[in-house]
Amino acid sequence: MHEETTGGKVVKVLLIALTFVFVFLFLVLPLVTVFKEAFSQGWAAYQRAVTDSYTLKAAGLTLEATVFAVLINTLFGLAAAWSITKFEFRGKKLLTTLIDLPVTVSPVIAGLIFLLTFGSQSILAPLLRDLNLKIVFAVPGIVLATVFVTFPFISRELIPVMEAQGTDEEEAAALMGAKGFLIFRKITFPQIKWAFLYGIVLCTARAMGEFGAVSVLSGHLRGKTNTLPLHVEILFNEFQYVPAFAVASILVILAIIILIIKSAIEQKGAKSSDVR
Amino acid sequence: MYVELKDINKNYGNFEASKDINFGIEKGKLVALLGPSGSGKTTILRMIAGLETPDSGEILIDGEVVNDIPASKRGIGFVFQNYALFRYMTVWDNIAFGLKVQKADKEYIKQRVDELLTLTNLKGFEDRYPTQLSGGQRQRVAFARALAPNPHLLLLDEPFAAIDAKVRQELRSWLKEMIEQLGVTSIFVTHDQDEAIEVSDQIILTNKGRIEQIGTPLEIYQNPETAFTAGFFGKGSKLDYPQTFRRFDIPEGVDDLLVRPEFVEVTKKDEFQKYSNSVSEGTIVEAEFRGDWIELKVDVDGNVINARRAPEAEPVEVGERVNVLVYKLLVTENDKARILYNESVREPVVVI
Repeated sequence: MHEETTGGKVVKVLLIALTFVFVFLFLVLPLVTVFKEAFSQGWAAYQRAVTDSYTLKAAGLTLEATVFAVLINTLFGLAAAWSITKFEFRGKKLLTTLIDLPVTVSPVIAGLIFLLTFGSQSILAPLLRDLNLKIVFAVPGIVLATVFVTFPFISRELIPVMEAQGTDEEEAAALMGAKGFLIFRKITFPQIKWAFLYGIVLCTARAMGEFGAVSVLSGHLRGKTNTLPLHVEILFNEFQYVPAFAVASILVILAIIILIIKSAIEQKGAKSSDVR
Repeated sequence: MYVELKDINKNYGNFEASKDINFGIEKGKLVALLGPSGSGKTTILRMIAGLETPDSGEILIDGEVVNDIPASKRGIGFVFQNYALFRYMTVWDNIAFGLKVQKADKEYIKQRVDELLTLTNLKGFEDRYPTQLSGGQRQRVAFARALAPNPHLLLLDEPFAAIDAKVRQELRSWLKEMIEQLGVTSIFVTHDQDEAIEVSDQIILTNKGRIEQIGTPLEIYQNPETAFTAGFFGKGSKLDYPQTFRRFDIPEGVDDLLVRPEFVEVTKKDEFQKYSNSVSEGTIVEAEFRGDWIELKVDVDGNVINARRAPEAEPVEVGERVNVLVYKLLVTENDKARILYNESVREPVVVI
């Protein structure tokens, strides 16, 4: 690039240095601190904290909520993306806007909404009681909150890709007598595969880390309704720094794994759209 | 009639895409649906295919009303404008798709795909993906894919639009030959009159959702029935001061007078002109070499008309005074068109 368009050498060095300092201060340093604190009393203490039964319970619950969120949002994301890009109907714009709502609303508010909708004060409360369903301060509430905050992740990845592909190929396949599921499997899915996987990864990352909405709905019952992020908070508040950071390090490791998967998908996806 | 449309109407909101469409197509014919963009030609094609439903009227294929038969059951091969090839499938899988859907015998699929690869000159490309092919090759894949399940009727939506001019010419004659050889009834949509004239047995000319005229390319070219047809075909130029041309009995109340280049003979002052008593004088405004002919614009008392001269003839210069003889004119009146001959030249002669 020409100097006039980029602003010369000094600016270049300055900007790069600034970015590095920023990344170091706000990303690398905190991450290093997490591991430093986690191992500050040695490997044995770390191991004890990580294999603690409450920690394992919390990890299990996080996994459960994540799996549910990914499954539900995969189905919903596909349905939403499909209907928005392949059909014409009234209220399409509204639907597109509403799907993005969970991203713009604060998770705490989301938690409160569900608390009021399904809690003991709500109009649904008698019905839930009759059905013997406990949502608030129970596992279903946590799953619900996680689903809500990760709601748009998959559909938002799919919609632009599907919009760009158009419906010609599906139409051609349908004309040759192919039925809905075959068309999806053979024509549509190969086109959206990478965007789809990318959406799942983002959804997983967000689901594992969710704190705000889950915090409101969980009730913080140790070993029952505690997810990993909530568990970290509880430990921290009890001044159990080593266990708190040890549990946090699990989340960090998971995040790094997801980051690697994500960039692998991005690369693969870019390559495959090059060739075909 | 193999394909028949009876009183077809189709609206999109307030837009009349098809209005009182009636026509029939004989078995084995290659028919062009020709018209400017927005004239409703693609809507007609998509209704025959079953991709759109008419608001009223009947569509018959082989004597059977197909209005309620879904697209996939009509036995139609469809070539899309941008081919809509399955981009994540190889050429082979693209062509085999229709047969696989029909659960045809594996051996038969192999044999049929092989046959089509040979027919479309795509041998050796079967493992390529659509993006690894040229425009012409893609079109041939689309053609092979549409033909694979042995359709009774082949529909092609602007089959040459996405191909560059050079290859287009080649593909036109190839497609025409291929369809004639296979004998499959075919309808293609185009906005290009040259394409329609060159490729089709019959032209259905559409304009503003209506059919203007149906006939062989020659019939329509020579005897346009409506003002639109007269203006759409050929490179007609409108005459603003027709009274200047001698020996024409121009009736009262005509709307427009059109003259096509092939109705005009331009001769140099010193060249022999048989009908010297009915020529007008004009000035050359433009003279451009076009390969097979010299394209001229001649100003005859304010009428600028297109004309042609053979490249072998003695060249004419811009600004030169020349003799202009007009053999005939196209007259339009109340949306009807007819031909008006030069009184002294009863026999129409085609120049060049």
